[in-house]
Amino acid sequence: MVGTAKVRDNSRAAPIPGRQQTMERFREQGGRIAAVLPIHYPRALLRAHRILPVEIWGPAQAFTPLADSRLQSYICPLARNALDFLLREGARRVDMVLVPHTCDSLQGLGSLLLDQAHLDRPTLNFYLPRGAGDASVDYLAAEIRSLSAALSRISGRSPREEELIECVMLEEEADSLLSELLGARPRLPLPDHTFYRVVRSREYLPAEDFISSANGVLAGRTSLGAPERLPILLSGIVPEPMEIFDALAGFGAFAAACDLACASRRLYPGGKSGDPFRRMAESLLGAPPDFTRGSAIRDRVRYLRANADKSGARGVLFYPVKFCEPELFDLPLLRKGLDGAGLASTVIEAPLHPHLSQVLVPRDPGPPPRPGGVTPAGALPER
Amino acid sequence: MGPPLKCAAATKRLVTRHYLDGRYVRHYGKTAWVTSGAPVELLKALGFFVLYPENHGALCGARRAAEALCRESEAAGYSSDICSYARTDLGSLLSGRTPVGRLPRPDVLVCCTNICQTVLAWYRVLSDHFNAPLLVVDTPFLYAEAPPHAKAYVLAQIEAMVEPLERIAGRSLNQDRLKRTVKYSRDAAELWNRITEMGRRKPAPLTAFDQFIHMAPIVEMRGDSRTVDFYAAMLRELEERARLGIGAVQRERARLVWDNLPVWHQLRFLSEFFAEKGAAVVAATYTKAWGELAPLLQESQPFEAMADTYLHVLLNRGTGSKLDTIRALVKEFDADGVVFHSDRSCKPYSIGQMGQRDSVVRQDGIPALLLEADHNDPRSWSRSQNINRLEAFMEVVAR
Repeated sequence: MVGTAKVRDNSRAAPIPGRQQTMERFREQGGRIAAVLPIHYPRALLRAHRILPVEIWGPAQAFTPLADSRLQSYICPLARNALDFLLREGARRVDMVLVPHTCDSLQGLGSLLLDQAHLDRPTLNFYLPRGAGDASVDYLAAEIRSLSAALSRISGRSPREEELIECVMLEEEADSLLSELLGARPRLPLPDHTFYRVVRSREYLPAEDFISSANGVLAGRTSLGAPERLPILLSGIVPEPMEIFDALAGFGAFAAACDLACASRRLYPGGKSGDPFRRMAESLLGAPPDFTRGSAIRDRVRYLRANADKSGARGVLFYPVKFCEPELFDLPLLRKGLDGAGLASTVIEAPLHPHLSQVLVPRDPGPPPRPGGVTPAGALPER
Repeated sequence: MGPPLKCAAATKRLVTRHYLDGRYVRHYGKTAWVTSGAPVELLKALGFFVLYPENHGALCGARRAAEALCRESEAAGYSSDICSYARTDLGSLLSGRTPVGRLPRPDVLVCCTNICQTVLAWYRVLSDHFNAPLLVVDTPFLYAEAPPHAKAYVLAQIEAMVEPLERIAGRSLNQDRLKRTVKYSRDAAELWNRITEMGRRKPAPLTAFDQFIHMAPIVEMRGDSRTVDFYAAMLRELEERARLGIGAVQRERARLVWDNLPVWHQLRFLSEFFAEKGAAVVAATYTKAWGELAPLLQESQPFEAMADTYLHVLLNRGTGSKLDTIRALVKEFDADGVVFHSDRSCKPYSIGQMGQRDSVVRQDGIPALLLEADHNDPRSWSRSQNINRLEAFMEVVAR
């Protein structure tokens, strides 16, 4: 039986500083700040250059007049929001912008920032190879070296190998804790909002601060009993707008596991090589399957099923960003694969941009909208 | 409009023959489905029959079969926000319907990311659907000059494809045959380049709309001697038309450049609309892309040549490079305006167009129009709104 009990925040974690506060503190220590677009990039490299990566995944529901004059309405709202933010004020708050090549939209954004936007901050790009094997590792290690050379021109530093390794090890420790944190989710008596605030602090906190914060949360683990709420797996790019968690809670459900680009798709295993550049490449390429590396859809299905099994999730809620082509391509086959395993699923497009989506507005008055496949609570097939 | 090109019948014959071959290929050979920017020379040299789902999508679009097929894929859960070529093709797979009769089942899928990341998403679906191996040639996007490690990476991937392709083909790669195939590709690309450059003549003996129709062989039949012969004949016809002063548009009064893919379902409407205004669309970034890299395809080092060529295609270069291309076309073809097709289905081609349009208008003083459409899905075509825009644009151009 699944209830709708309210979950109190019993976390022992210290309050998590916000982005602005974190940036100010890092600057006071003599560091620089990089605005970084999603998804994959070598954090350790930036830290070795004394640059703090602060990621841009939103803000959601922003009005974007400056970006609207440069991007057509059918371009990914995440790219649109980021562009508007950078043009308006964001770029002035940072020392550089890094745009990893994640998809066609971010490829275009990276190119547009260089060729058209003329920010008064350097813009760097970073290409993540789509594939596995030695050629990809070789390429990525060289790409990270090349990025390091570009960073040196900004930071004025050329990190020694020991410094690089030290940073790599620290980030690997933080990645390992993130993995532990996400794995422990069903045993953490926190509301989703609070939990994902901690998880997402990995987007901007220095690794050492994230480690401390994650350890604080993990100390509040309880033993695993029968879930008071309906466990579901949340899949998508980013849980924005975060009201999705309120909607889940309203149905007595919670995100027991996730397959989010901003979180669990970045559970990088430690690398093996003694060479820090190669080690970072191995680590990035070892992340769970996702479209940005061209992973086979059947691998994604396998991963989602395993993740659901481990967390006890009884359904999957896909929360894709509007116009996110690569994510949208996979959905029919992912859902078919999950259906074959007795896992219900449904899709709600994330309305990241206020102009775009009316998908959540019901056409006629009636009961409040409910995510179809995971409601009503308790109606999911027993597993 | 001027008299139609005589080579139209030959193009139709060539394309029909190609799809007809595909129906019977299972009796004598293997089939590869490939993206339009894939290093097809390797496959041709190994005797594969190659099929281009994008071209099949375009063909469905031009024959107005795309909308029904898009609806099929949408009914199966594919979002209407994904590329309409992909939706058309997936709809064809799911329904079994195609204007070409039947498509051969692929023994292997080869996807090159130099045109977009969409193809990677699309081919992963195909791989799952057919349970066929997917070989990826990943070409790092070029924001500026290609770094040496990008070239080495592409080369390594093409070389690594040989072994699995030989296994699937059941034969070894013959280096002489590969060199010959690369040469055919280069010869065809050079001829195609000369054909597109015929648009510089006044009056232009062909328009971009002619190019869209006659580009099928350079896209899907590269590395074939018949393609070389076909384009040699087409070039002769165009030279003759130019010599006689026969224009594709009667009483040519204005000259335009087209950016992005064609609007396949409105090809006739658009060509007639511009012709009625005395406007010849004399060049297109899209068609130019298939000829401009011909000099890189040197058969003496076929693998290096393929790596270099396919890494540098127009769509794998930044928005600044595309603006340079547009400006060069305006200058070289003495154009009076630019039509930017803002293509809902082709995001990588369309991102940057608003800034490019501003640059062309404000810095160069050339009128430019952003035409909202979709290359294959007619539901994104607003006829009256677009006619209004086109009319207003032509008034500015004609001043």
